[in-house]
Amino acid sequence: MLNELLLSLAHWLDAMPWSTALHESLYLYAWVESTHVLTLMVFLGMLFIIDLRMLGLIFTDVPASTVADRLDVPMLIGFAVMVATGFILYFAIPVRTTQSLWFRIKVVLLIAAGINALLFRARMKAADGSWDRDPKPPKRLRVAAGLSLALWAGVVMTGRTIAYDWFDCHKQLPYLLYWAAGCVDEMAQFE
Amino acid sequence: MELLPFFEWLEASALGEAAKAYGGVFAVVQMFHLLALALLGGTVILGDLRLLGLVMTDVPSETVIRNTQKWFNAALALIAASGIFMSGAVAIKLYYNEMYWAKMTGLGLGIAFVYGVRRPLLLRFEHATINPWALRLLAVTSLIIWFSVAACGRWIGFS
Repeated sequence: MLNELLLSLAHWLDAMPWSTALHESLYLYAWVESTHVLTLMVFLGMLFIIDLRMLGLIFTDVPASTVADRLDVPMLIGFAVMVATGFILYFAIPVRTTQSLWFRIKVVLLIAAGINALLFRARMKAADGSWDRDPKPPKRLRVAAGLSLALWAGVVMTGRTIAYDWFDCHKQLPYLLYWAAGCVDEMAQFE
Repeated sequence: MELLPFFEWLEASALGEAAKAYGGVFAVVQMFHLLALALLGGTVILGDLRLLGLVMTDVPSETVIRNTQKWFNAALALIAASGIFMSGAVAIKLYYNEMYWAKMTGLGLGIAFVYGVRRPLLLRFEHATINPWALRLLAVTSLIIWFSVAACGRWIGFS
């Protein structure tokens, strides 16, 4: 049901002239895609540095809250650019992306990373600051930082893989993969 | 100097064979290339924005430069290693790709700039004793070089 809904949404977007124009443009798509990738240096770069501080691996002579607080704005600016360009990229190729196994994993990881980030922030705020100057923060924060690094690395890795067609719907795949990628037409052939 | 024979040799080498034979391995190496890009770019941008007085203004710029250099080295090592592996798979194609040569020129410039100019200057002298405009020029130059390297790198795939 959800797959059909997402697919019809994708077809509706796909029918828009702008979607096709963007996809078939000579340079615009490449510019948007490049902006998406290069902004990794801002968003993920700042995130890496904050997480490495929480792991006690960088800026150990600067309070953890100072690093997290000062890098928050550049990180969020990078995130906003990545989200905006990400939506445009989806809009340019909606049907294939909706039925991309990697894109689906990426979205799940994004949600998990988002929840982890919110919990992380709550923990930071609730902390009494007793460890703020410690080179190595307490274990529960280090775990959250490690998880954050792993989840965001997963988002980047699955994001890159969307470009590969290994598990696209038009390929001969086991039912499980058709199911995971939401290839509704191909799944129907099994019935 | 004629470089084509080197690229032909690279493509036929064991590295080139391995990188071509396993598409999945190539893709995984490419992912690490991207993660290293984020770390390398992040450390460069943080240092340069600090020199420009745009972030972490309450932390001495000496501290920022000192802390980021180790991770820049690590990222550069990872990005170079993964890059060499990837170039093995498409060596001859790269030889004829203008963006590849633009990127390599920028990369050579960037490495010379970091280890020959930026670091010796910023680690040896107290930043307050350096002309503020020299610091700003240093930061802007650094941002332009590394942005160009990354952008040319992305454009190799489009050209």
